[in-house]
Amino acid sequence: MKRPLRLRLILRDLAAAAAFGAMAVSGQLPLPVLGAFLGALVLALCGLRLVARHARLSALGLLVVAVLLGLQLTSGAMNAVVAACSFAGLIAAQRMLSTPDAAADGQTHLTSLLMVAGGAALSGDMTYALCLITFGVLASLSLALGVVEAAVPDGEPVPVRAVMRPLSAGVAFAVAGAVAFFVLFPRLNWAMVGPRSAPGLGASSAGYSNTVRLGGAGTIKGNPRVVLRATLTPDPGLDALDAYWVGRTYDTFDGMEWSNVVGAQQIERQITLRPASDTLIHQRVELLPAYGASTLIALEMPSRLGNARAHSPTGTRSSPVQLRGGGEVRFTVTAPSYTYEAYSLPPDAKAGLAPGLVQAERDQLLALPEHLDPRVSELAARVLQGEKEPLAAARKLASFLQKDYAYTLEQEGIPEDPLSDFLFVRKAGHCEHFATALTLLLRTQGIGARLATGFYGGARMDGGYLVRAGDAHAWTHVLVPGRGFVTVDATPPSNRTSQGSVYLEKLLALYEAVEARWRNSVVDYSFRDQFELASALVRPPRRPRDAPANEAPSRLPPPRAWATAAIVAFIVWRAARFVSRWTGRAPALAATRFLDRVDALLQKAHVPRFEHESLEDLTTRLAREGHPLVLALTPLTRRYLEARFGGRALREGEAEHLLATLRRALDAEAARRAVKPAGQAGPTARAS
Amino acid sequence: MKAPARPSFKARLRAVLRPPRTLSVTKTGRTYLVVTFGVGLGALNTGNNLLYLLLGLLLSMVVVSGVLSERCLRDLTVRRVGADAAFAREPFAYRWAVSRKAGHGFALTFSEDLSPLTGSGKLGHLPAGSEHIVRADLAAPHRGPVRLSGVRVTTTWPLGLFAKTRVFSLDGTLLVYPRRGYACKEPGPAQKGPRGEAGSPRHLDGTGDVAGLRELGANEDARRIHWLKSAAAGRLLKVEREREERRIWKLALEAGLTGDALERRCEEIAAQAHQLLDSGHEVGLQLPERVLRPAAGAFQERRILQALAWVGFEDADVDSREAA
Repeated sequence: MKRPLRLRLILRDLAAAAAFGAMAVSGQLPLPVLGAFLGALVLALCGLRLVARHARLSALGLLVVAVLLGLQLTSGAMNAVVAACSFAGLIAAQRMLSTPDAAADGQTHLTSLLMVAGGAALSGDMTYALCLITFGVLASLSLALGVVEAAVPDGEPVPVRAVMRPLSAGVAFAVAGAVAFFVLFPRLNWAMVGPRSAPGLGASSAGYSNTVRLGGAGTIKGNPRVVLRATLTPDPGLDALDAYWVGRTYDTFDGMEWSNVVGAQQIERQITLRPASDTLIHQRVELLPAYGASTLIALEMPSRLGNARAHSPTGTRSSPVQLRGGGEVRFTVTAPSYTYEAYSLPPDAKAGLAPGLVQAERDQLLALPEHLDPRVSELAARVLQGEKEPLAAARKLASFLQKDYAYTLEQEGIPEDPLSDFLFVRKAGHCEHFATALTLLLRTQGIGARLATGFYGGARMDGGYLVRAGDAHAWTHVLVPGRGFVTVDATPPSNRTSQGSVYLEKLLALYEAVEARWRNSVVDYSFRDQFELASALVRPPRRPRDAPANEAPSRLPPPRAWATAAIVAFIVWRAARFVSRWTGRAPALAATRFLDRVDALLQKAHVPRFEHESLEDLTTRLAREGHPLVLALTPLTRRYLEARFGGRALREGEAEHLLATLRRALDAEAARRAVKPAGQAGPTARAS
Repeated sequence: MKAPARPSFKARLRAVLRPPRTLSVTKTGRTYLVVTFGVGLGALNTGNNLLYLLLGLLLSMVVVSGVLSERCLRDLTVRRVGADAAFAREPFAYRWAVSRKAGHGFALTFSEDLSPLTGSGKLGHLPAGSEHIVRADLAAPHRGPVRLSGVRVTTTWPLGLFAKTRVFSLDGTLLVYPRRGYACKEPGPAQKGPRGEAGSPRHLDGTGDVAGLRELGANEDARRIHWLKSAAAGRLLKVEREREERRIWKLALEAGLTGDALERRCEEIAAQAHQLLDSGHEVGLQLPERVLRPAAGAFQERRILQALAWVGFEDADVDSREAA
């Protein structure tokens, strides 16, 4: 048995690794499968084919794994697609470690192809494209080297370099062709059920729960992962959004943590929190897997939330939303990512009290913990100095806190009374401390307030805004008579947004920008995009800004339309030329067929002919005898010989023309023969 | 010049229908197409754009495969070098000379088109500008002239999914000699030479003056080598004297044999002739229609084999005989 080319095997195994990566980026494969495949890959790259001598044992192992996966599947613990992809990965691993023969190569490539297809069902990440292209390139190189290797005699080297050049061009052409196919192939299905997002490899970080406990370190402020993408209408056009994205509020503080009394319960497709005004801010929000919670987020103050769709690996489905206490609205379907729509009141609108706010919740707006440090109330009174107007008092207190207290994410230990510790001992804390302090300071003075949590800010990206996990924030809602709840933030402005590394945020922003384009251009590509692409090609150019007002806009298509038309015309012309050359080829055995038809005509006309006498011999003999048929036969014979042996094929219609001439000559000859006996009717003398 | 015979309907139909290239799907290619079909079905059914992307790549690879294989078979020139000797039912070395004007050719497989010859030659890489000799071990099922109409050149380049074939029209004839098996029968008594108790036939010394020199045959007595002349000629030459005690056999192929009987007899005569000539004797051949005078050496064996190969095919045209 010929020893296989090591480079080919390495390329094959790396192609399988890329295919496995296409699935693994979804983050849904079980860890044992990930470990098993990576181990097999390392061994295979080192040339250790452990399964080569234990093929049956490994096949038995695979059978056991199949049974286990089947049990997981039937028990509902595992998705069918995930189970199938896991099994494909294990088969690929087993094949990589087996004897590298032609069958193992083919099966490895086949399972790799299936893994890539499985990856398309599991993941919508941009990294899938990288894995796909890597797989395509490596598998093509491996296959091509295998084809050449099989044809090279034993002992001779495989011409690797000679193979690479034409194949590289071919693979580049294939990738370009794939893109062209992707763009141009009409989308026949309007219902997109493809994966919009995978859970990703990192842990989700929003951590919305029913309580907010003081005392924890603010590690989340350093997390740069993007949890939310939103498109606002009308678009504020700001690079950095100065806005609060509220998730929920808390009204009850027991000295350690915030919670809610039971609020309104309602499940609808769309929840209305407060009456709409004429000018609402529309938000199309996408919650990413890094968010990890099921609470809807909307700009302050949300009016209506709904039209939610949950995106899971098995597809996209509509999700009703549920109103809970604290104005929280949750998805009822669990999924790694969601999209929904929200409408919020503009910042200067009078929000009023939410109609869903029950009396118990209203009563809690002034509730204080049982063992509240009396110094808190004294501090509030000292700062306010008799200020009773709620909003002015809140702003006064917020200004005091921002000026006299420091912002820090570090927290050493958990004090017994976090509020007193913040206000009178450490005088430093993070947003939850500031918000809690402001809320309780206001309540001690009889001003209704509550804690709100969510996100602050938003970075501009492709016409929308990104919100990071580090933008998680807490602030205070102050109840202002006649206006409802008004947002007042006691946290110093410079510390409200993400506190992570600037370089890491820039890097992630770049990745997000590319991935956003990937999602818009590839994952969400639809028939509408195709239609818009075609329309953009033929749409007349926009009128320049500096053009005179009385100048009529051009109705002619833009240059790109002409260029596209020229390219299409060129392709059509080349195709037509190819087809005409194909159909215009001289048909096979045309001269022989022509001769057959001539022979048939001569035979039908009873032209005397010797046995085995060829056409040229016949023509020569008739010419010698001065036969009238010679006039028709001579050019016909010459053309036959030229067509048959001289390389000058009969032109289109030429054979018919020559045959028609011969037919007329034969008819004339027949007529002459018919007349001749009548003229020779008299007695003839014969010399003897 | 005589008008050529009209080709049969089957041949004409094949000429009309046969495209310039033939394409067949390999086992890997079948699997590939099935997976591509499945991915396409999945893309259409689900609307998953990633599956559309994958489908595009798979289909593009099919197109690329067609383009690259076409470039591989284009600008190719093939001629037959032929075989030194082809024996029926034995592998024999056969050669084609192949070259190309431009580009590279990969994974080329050569075989004879529409002929009973089995086997193929392979060439891994064919760069432009130089002629390569491709060797193959072919086998012919029976003796006689084999008409060759063309050379099939097949490539599975680049991915092994499809096997594209181009046939180069190249008329020719290969004469297949009868198989040289084991001769069960003795060739019979020699026509001339010592008979009875004459000692070993391998130690036959002639008498008289030196009459000439000839090439030493296999298994002949090395004591009769003329070393001086052999050194000058660069090959072993044997001394022949006036009165050589050489034996002469005249083998005969009986008239009226047909079918298997004729084949068996031809093989037997070929084996006997080989054995006797190998021992340095002279062998003649009596055929129903011609006679070969007794002679010794490798050339005589070739003549005998040729004569035996043509037995039963005497009505073949002159061109074929000359080509063979």
